[in-house]
Amino acid sequence: MTIPDAVDSVSANQSSALKSGWMWVRRHSGIAIGLFVLASILFAAFLAPLPHDPFEAMPTEVLLPPSSEHWLGTDRSGFDVFSRVIAAGRLDLPLALAGTFLSLVIGVTIGLLASSKGRGSESIMRGLDVFQAFPLLVLAIVIVTLTGNNLPTVVLAIVLIETPRFVRLTRSQALTIRESRFIEAAYAMGATHRRVLWRHLLPNVSGAILAQASLAAANAIVVIAALSFLGIGTSPTDASWGSMIRGGSQVIATGDWWVAFGAGLAVFITVLAFNAIADGIQKTLEEK
Amino acid sequence: MSSFWKYTFRRLALIPVGLLIVITAAFGLVSIVPGDPALAITGGLASEEKLSQIRGELGLNEPLPTRYWNYVSGLFQGDMGTSFFTQLPIRDELFQRIPDTAELVVMALAFAIVFGLAVGGIGAYFRGKAADRGSRYFTSALQSIPDFFIGILLIYFFFYLLGWTPAPVGRIGLLETRPPQVTGALLTDSVIAGQWDTFRSGLRHSIMPVLALGIFYSAYFAKTSRAVLSAAFASRQVEFARACGLPTRTIWLYALREARTPIITYGAVLFAVLLGGSAIVEIVFSWGGSGQWAVERILSLDIPAIQGFVLVAGTITLITYVVLDILVAKLDPRISYGKKS
Repeated sequence: MTIPDAVDSVSANQSSALKSGWMWVRRHSGIAIGLFVLASILFAAFLAPLPHDPFEAMPTEVLLPPSSEHWLGTDRSGFDVFSRVIAAGRLDLPLALAGTFLSLVIGVTIGLLASSKGRGSESIMRGLDVFQAFPLLVLAIVIVTLTGNNLPTVVLAIVLIETPRFVRLTRSQALTIRESRFIEAAYAMGATHRRVLWRHLLPNVSGAILAQASLAAANAIVVIAALSFLGIGTSPTDASWGSMIRGGSQVIATGDWWVAFGAGLAVFITVLAFNAIADGIQKTLEEK
Repeated sequence: MSSFWKYTFRRLALIPVGLLIVITAAFGLVSIVPGDPALAITGGLASEEKLSQIRGELGLNEPLPTRYWNYVSGLFQGDMGTSFFTQLPIRDELFQRIPDTAELVVMALAFAIVFGLAVGGIGAYFRGKAADRGSRYFTSALQSIPDFFIGILLIYFFFYLLGWTPAPVGRIGLLETRPPQVTGALLTDSVIAGQWDTFRSGLRHSIMPVLALGIFYSAYFAKTSRAVLSAAFASRQVEFARACGLPTRTIWLYALREARTPIITYGAVLFAVLLGGSAIVEIVFSWGGSGQWAVERILSLDIPAIQGFVLVAGTITLITYVVLDILVAKLDPRISYGKKS
């Protein structure tokens, strides 16, 4: 092979990688858009320059309507609403992701272990039913306030709410797959129970689990917003979407819509992005 | 004995077991407070006397089995403890507020079911067409706005801009008086007392909170009913009805009949969820129901009140679920009565 040939084939490889990447994006537009939106929110929250310091109140500029100086106006303490909405992504998104990740790990482990048929696992599921039907938001509020009212307890509350869903999903998926031939074959070849669980069952349920994780993260965003709306978990000086909506709710009846609007929109867009990812994954699973 | 009755009895037998779990959970709440609960409650400002008094009220000075026994036997005598906050019996405080929340939840659920069925039904009927896509986008948009934010948007548009609704504070106007208490629920009581002005005012004050909850939860019904109804529209009996040339209305009725089990299931589950889940919307609109009460008490660490709320909410949830299981078994002959594999 001459050198130009090699160069040609490398660039051909590159362009085909780009092309297949683009093909993937076009086929999974929901997932791609969702990921892009979330990445932008994280990027803006942590790295982008903000028009104003989100943590410095300007006592002379209170409740100003949106202008070229304050894009989304200012709130009752004189914070720049736009800067604070963007900065709140530093708190809300990582908290939601941490809670989701932990509940995924715990839930999937329990779900796989409980995927054997038997009275024991049946009654675990029944117990989970009742637990999940309980007003979970209230339970989250109780747990966060009683256990110290700080950020780690918010993650704990999310784990408590979301874990049962992962358990249920993993178990039901694993129970179906368990009946298939390749599992039987694995056992016939002398695979241990543990090996079948982690090597054969888990990879086959991972798609559904990822979709559930995306839904869980969407729900976690709402739960965190609800908690900080009540002033629980986060401190009032923290910028969080929920606490900003609360601030806006106190002035909405007098028409100052901009205080709550940005934070509400941020929650809406974030939740929509997570839901789009979940929908996209589900669609690819159905196509298979 | 028919298998249905056997099933019913087995489900009913679950109630005492479940109750025991709920009671234990409520009892155990005190022990998840790190450190000294008395110190946490008073925020470190109280005198040593006050602290030991609170410890005494919580029963922290006694051994665990005695405390548990006292708690359970107190409950059986209808004693749910006394609030740290108001010094009133928890039972009276809580049961006074449940009817108002129940009224809100029932109205919100009714709206959510009708609206959700309409949106999901349109999606199913025009499956794959523009109306279907529209209904799905609408549904996922609704699901992405927290109910309390919907409430705030409603206040801005309906109260501030349009002036259609009264100020979002309370169940009736500040100068109006509640009708004499019969059930404890404002709208029901004003009908009983024949106070139609109060009834109208209560109804107008209900519009925004009911919409806030109803719109948010209708998304769940829309999703489910779309799935169920599109299966129903493709089913044999609906196809047959179409082939017979029956009018569209009748075909809808046939399809809806298929959807009743999941709708009832969802409705019951949401009823249980909303009894506590309505709390934030209640706070936004100063509704004054049990949800708002619970959250306010939780925030002030009124432990007997929290225990009482967890207990009552858990019990209602438990009973709702058992009744639901029995109802679904009665309605749907395809359900096997627990004789699986």
